[in-house]
Amino acid sequence: MATLKLVNVSKRFGEVIACSNIDLVVNEGEFITLLGPSGCGKTTLLNVVAGLEELTEGEIWIEDRMVNDLSPYERNLAMVFQNYALYPHMTVAENIGFSMRLRKRPKEEIADRVGHVAQTLELEKLLDRLPRELSGGQQQRVAIGRAVIREPTIFLFDEPFSNLDAALRMRMRVEIKELHQRLGTTSVFVTHDQEEALSLSDRIAVMRFGRIEQFGTPEQVYSLPTSKYVARFIGSPQLDIFEGDIESTNEQMNYRIGTERFPMPTLTQLPDKPVDLGVRPEHILLGSEGAPAVVHLVQPIGPFTYVTVTWEGGNATARVSGVSRLRPRDKVNVSYDITGMLFFDRESSLRVELN
Amino acid sequence: MKKNLSKVILQIFLISFIFLALGPILWAIVTSFLPLSSLTAKPIDLDPTKFSLRNYFEVLDTSRGLLSGLINSMIIATFTASVALVVGSAAAYALARLSLPGSNFILLAILATQMFPGIVIAIPLFIVMSRLGMIDTHFGLMFVYLSFVLPIVIWILKGFFENIPIQLEKAAAIDGATNSQTFRFIILPISLPPLFATGVFAFIESWNEFFFAIILTRINVKTAPIAISEFAGQYRTLYGQMLASAVLASLPVVILAIVFRKFILEGFVEGAVKT
Repeated sequence: MATLKLVNVSKRFGEVIACSNIDLVVNEGEFITLLGPSGCGKTTLLNVVAGLEELTEGEIWIEDRMVNDLSPYERNLAMVFQNYALYPHMTVAENIGFSMRLRKRPKEEIADRVGHVAQTLELEKLLDRLPRELSGGQQQRVAIGRAVIREPTIFLFDEPFSNLDAALRMRMRVEIKELHQRLGTTSVFVTHDQEEALSLSDRIAVMRFGRIEQFGTPEQVYSLPTSKYVARFIGSPQLDIFEGDIESTNEQMNYRIGTERFPMPTLTQLPDKPVDLGVRPEHILLGSEGAPAVVHLVQPIGPFTYVTVTWEGGNATARVSGVSRLRPRDKVNVSYDITGMLFFDRESSLRVELN
Repeated sequence: MKKNLSKVILQIFLISFIFLALGPILWAIVTSFLPLSSLTAKPIDLDPTKFSLRNYFEVLDTSRGLLSGLINSMIIATFTASVALVVGSAAAYALARLSLPGSNFILLAILATQMFPGIVIAIPLFIVMSRLGMIDTHFGLMFVYLSFVLPIVIWILKGFFENIPIQLEKAAAIDGATNSQTFRFIILPISLPPLFATGVFAFIESWNEFFFAIILTRINVKTAPIAISEFAGQYRTLYGQMLASAVLASLPVVILAIVFRKFILEGFVEGAVKT
């Protein structure tokens, strides 16, 4: 277990900037995720931390050691790769024990430790198999076993579930979370799947164009995103962002979208620049009160139904509990939960607190 | 009905193809057991009682040059294949993995050397080799064969090395392997099948080569193909002995192919990474 600290880390490939000026502190035992779309620099950043890529600028600290010039192995961290990268000519046991074999540990000790790791990962019966004889989930577990046996101070995961089918992905997610709870090893996880990030992490670093846009707990990035980008990236279905205007009368403040007006919190001071409104599906309410709208699309997903409604100049997707009886072209009234309204500066896209 | 018909046509085609391919070999084997008198008789006398190993004993007599030809060929082909593998795999690995400036140009230049028919370069090559004093030497012939075989070896191995996932090397680095350990424990073992395949290829190419061997050798370094050709004289051709020699000269290649067949076919890389 160790703390990991990145100070002003940049990585350029020639003219291309993969990561720029990244500051990040991962506390001892913390599980953090680098989240972002492909090409945002998250995997590059992980490779830089691992020592597989040299950084262009900045410092990387593990515990109280600056590790810039140390080899991946000397940094004492372990990595699980997206495509597992199992050694194809070695059995499961040999794959897991390879790092010990390199350190010339006695055979009995290797067998002993491999057996122990295999037991915790339910791989005992597969120890003599070759990687090609394993299923995707089993291969993934071997890759994790190869990382675990090292007893590293930090685990790095590079999109480890992206090749698995949905059901297996859920199971592996549980296994990784249990593993982290049991071992308590500081972990950095890279993914483009926001749900995976929310469910696994203590904190999430949302990345964009090689920068960290927001670093916070799952609750923070979900409920208080720093920008439209973060707000849209986290949460499924995406939150709706409306380009409307604040209208103030004596007794009530409204946000006007197209032809309809929606009540909003009363402000003591109007913002001097135009602001956009963001509302997540669970804060959009359908019922007998509010602005008249027409149902456009109904998507049942089991515990919820997503209902998209339209009105002149606007549309919104609401999350309704259970199975909705609404049908396309039904008339409903739509209103917004005042507590779930997020406001963004139209120009800078950053979230603004209005009061 | 239509499907059956096309199947039958396909089978007829395949059978005739096999006959075309194997027929001459079978005929060579049969001929190698017959005395010259049976072969020159009209019609050919295929009396089984005349089958004997006499041709084989005669060609293996040291005065006939076949034995020394086989030894020369063995030395040259083994050396050519070994050097081609060592140099070729290093070059291929560098071209596949390192971002060398102008590596595309290097690759094309290597390929371009293969585009000239042998006859075009025969005379200049002869002059160069004779000025270097390498006519009729083992080294001269190895040198020439290497220059033909190496480009192909590099291209084949480069393609293979490019398909080894880079993550395997990264994983090994994380596990604490040095570059040489990564090569020894990871890259080399999974590269054995293509190394064997290209090695066998290089061996066969040098073993069978006739054109440059006849130009660049005189007496000392006659290879097996030259020795075989010498059974055809100006006034008569010793068919039986010639084909017995050919059968003997084919054996090492056949044995090589059989021994390494499993290695060559086995896809070791399968299962390394999920794609």
